[in-house]
Amino acid sequence: MVMMMAPGGTLEMAQAVLDEGADAVYVGVVGWSRRGAQDELNDDEIHRTIDYALARGKEVRIVVNTLPSSTELPMFVERVERYAGWGAQGFMISDIGAMRLVKERLPQVNIHSSVGCGITNYEDVCFLREIGATYVVLPYRMSVEEIRQIKQAGDVGIEVFLFKTPSGGKICPGKCNMSSYFSFRRWLDAQGKDHFFGSASRGGDCLRVCQTDWNFNVDEVDFRAPMTIKTNPALWLEELPDYLAAGVDCLKVPGRDRSTALVRDIVRVYRRAVDTILETDHPDLSVFASELETLRGRWMTERGKRDNRLLRQAIDESRRTVATPL
Amino acid sequence: MFELSTDVGNLKELREGGFSAYDALYLGDFSCPDYPNNFSSHPELLEAGLELVKARDQKAYLRLYAVPGNSDLGWVEDLVDAALELPFDAFEVHNLGLLRMLREKGCRLPIHLGVFGNLYTHETAKVLKEYGVTRVYPNPELSLDEVRYIADNAEIEVLVPVHGKIPLVISETCFILEHSEQGEEDGAQSGACGDGTCSYQCTQEHWLKRGRSDGSRADWSLKDTGRMTLSGKDLCMVEHAAMLAGMGLKHFYVHNKGEAHGYAAAVGGIYRDALTRAFCGKDAEDPTASLATLAGLAREGLCNGYYFEGAGQRYFGRV
Repeated sequence: MVMMMAPGGTLEMAQAVLDEGADAVYVGVVGWSRRGAQDELNDDEIHRTIDYALARGKEVRIVVNTLPSSTELPMFVERVERYAGWGAQGFMISDIGAMRLVKERLPQVNIHSSVGCGITNYEDVCFLREIGATYVVLPYRMSVEEIRQIKQAGDVGIEVFLFKTPSGGKICPGKCNMSSYFSFRRWLDAQGKDHFFGSASRGGDCLRVCQTDWNFNVDEVDFRAPMTIKTNPALWLEELPDYLAAGVDCLKVPGRDRSTALVRDIVRVYRRAVDTILETDHPDLSVFASELETLRGRWMTERGKRDNRLLRQAIDESRRTVATPL
Repeated sequence: MFELSTDVGNLKELREGGFSAYDALYLGDFSCPDYPNNFSSHPELLEAGLELVKARDQKAYLRLYAVPGNSDLGWVEDLVDAALELPFDAFEVHNLGLLRMLREKGCRLPIHLGVFGNLYTHETAKVLKEYGVTRVYPNPELSLDEVRYIADNAEIEVLVPVHGKIPLVISETCFILEHSEQGEEDGAQSGACGDGTCSYQCTQEHWLKRGRSDGSRADWSLKDTGRMTLSGKDLCMVEHAAMLAGMGLKHFYVHNKGEAHGYAAAVGGIYRDALTRAFCGKDAEDPTASLATLAGLAREGLCNGYYFEGAGQRYFGRV
C-alpha cells in the first residue's frame, strides 16, 4: 500500500494534514531541516505532533536533512534518539555519515535519504541502501521509466514528490550553492548549534537567487531578455497511476512553507485521487483536473510571495556585506 | 612537501597549455560528456593523454562524469574499464553510484571525491574511505576550520582549492543550448543537448548578471559553461599561503575549467612560488604584484568568503 506523506510546517498544519487523510506527516526540526525556522517545529511541537499521529494510528517522519558540521554530529544523534524515543518512525537525512550513525544506533527506524542526496541513477540508490536507507527520495525530474529501473535495481522504498520540473536543468536541491555564494551568515546558539542564513543545505532558507531577473550575455552582448535561471516545479497528477505501477511506495505532498489552508486542500484532493487509483483498474482522473488547476494557481501565488521575500533578504544581505575592495 | 593540481579537459588543451607549475592534472571535464574530445567520455584518447602527462613526470587523475543518469552508466563503465588498463594515479568521482561501481569492479586505484560529492562531515569521509576514497574535496561552503577538522578526524587527504571559479551548480542538460536561439526554436523538450548536434557555443564566454537599474556594475555575476554554473569571481588564496601551510593542508588545486589559454600557467606559477615559500618557512613576499596579476585575470574580481565563514563572493585579505 502506498503511503501518502504530507508536510507539517506548523503544528496546525501537521494536525490538519493528518485529519485530511495523510498516512504520515513530516516535520522539520528548528535548525536541522532545509527551511527557515518559521517552517520548522520546536521539540514541544514535535512531541505533540507525534502524540497526535500515534493516537490516530498514523506515522511521523522527522526532517533532519541539513548537511551538518562535523562537530554537530553528536548533537544530531542525540536529537534523533530523543524523537525516536517519543515514537517517530523515521528520519529524512542527507549526510551519508549521519545516515550511518543513525543506522548503527537505531536499526529499527526508517531512514529516508533526502532529496538533497541528489540521486541521478540506480547505482546511487544501491549505494544509499547499503549505507542504511530504507526509502530514497527521488528528485523532481525523474521519468516513470527511470523510476521503474531504480525499483528493479534495489530493494528499497521509493518516494517521490507530488510536484516536478521538466526533465533536465540545474540539479536542485542537492547540487547547488548559488544562494550562499551571494548571501551567507553563520552563528551559534546557546547550545552550540550552528545556524545559517543563506544556505538551505546547512539549515536555512534557500534565498531563491535563481528566481531574480538575470541578464544572460555572451561576449558582453545580452543574449536575450532577462530570465530566471531555473524552472519551478509544479503539482502533477496525470501520471500518478503509472508512478504507482512503477513501484513508488511513498507519495510526498510538498509545502512545508505554504499556508495550512493550501496544504490541507492539496492533501484532500490527492487523498481522493490516490484512493480512486487504488480502487479501480482504469481510474478517471479528469474529474480532478479543475481542482488541480486551482491548486496550481494558489501554489504559484504563495510561492511568488515567498520567493520575493527571500530574494529581498538575499539582496539586502549581499549589499550589507559588500566585498572588501582590493 | 605539497601537491598543486589543476584540470585539463582534452588533448588539445593538454598539448597547448602550460602546466609545468603543477604536480598533478585532473584529466577530463566532469560536467559535460559532449565537451569536445573530453577525456571523461573518450576512452580512445586516454592513452595519449596519459603519455603526455607522464612524460612531464606529473600525476594523472581521471575525472568521471559527475551526474550520470541510468542511461549513462554503460558508457561510463566502458571508460572505467579502459582506464583500469592504464597507469592512472587515481579516479575522481562525484557520483556515489559510480563510487559503488568502482568498488564492485575491485578497483585498486585511489579514488578522489569531487566537488559535487557533497562532503560536509568527517563521518561521511569515513564511510567513503570504506569504498576506496583517499582524498575528498569538501563542499565549497565549508570554512577552512571545517576542512581541517575533516582532514584531522577522518585521516584523509583533503583537496583545497586555492584559485579559480568555484563550481556552484551542475546541470543534466546544457543551459546555453536551452536558452540559445536554436534551443528556443527546438522547444524545451527537444533541446539539442545530448543528441549529438552540440554546436559548442560554450567556447564563447557566457555570463549571468544581475545588474542595478542605474547601469553601474552588476551586483551579482555568475559564469555559465553550459552544464555547470561557476562563481563570477575567482577564488583567491594567495595571501593566505602561509596559513594554509600552517594548518597542515597539503593538496591544493586551481580551477581551470572555462578559462582562457594561459590562465593555468599564470596562476600556477604564482601559487607554486607562494606555496613553496610558505612550506619552506620563508616570509611571504609582498602580495601586491601577485594580486594585481590575479585580479587582472579575474573579470569580476576575487573572492574567498566561504573559507572565512562569509558569503562565497566576499574577499578577505590577510590581516
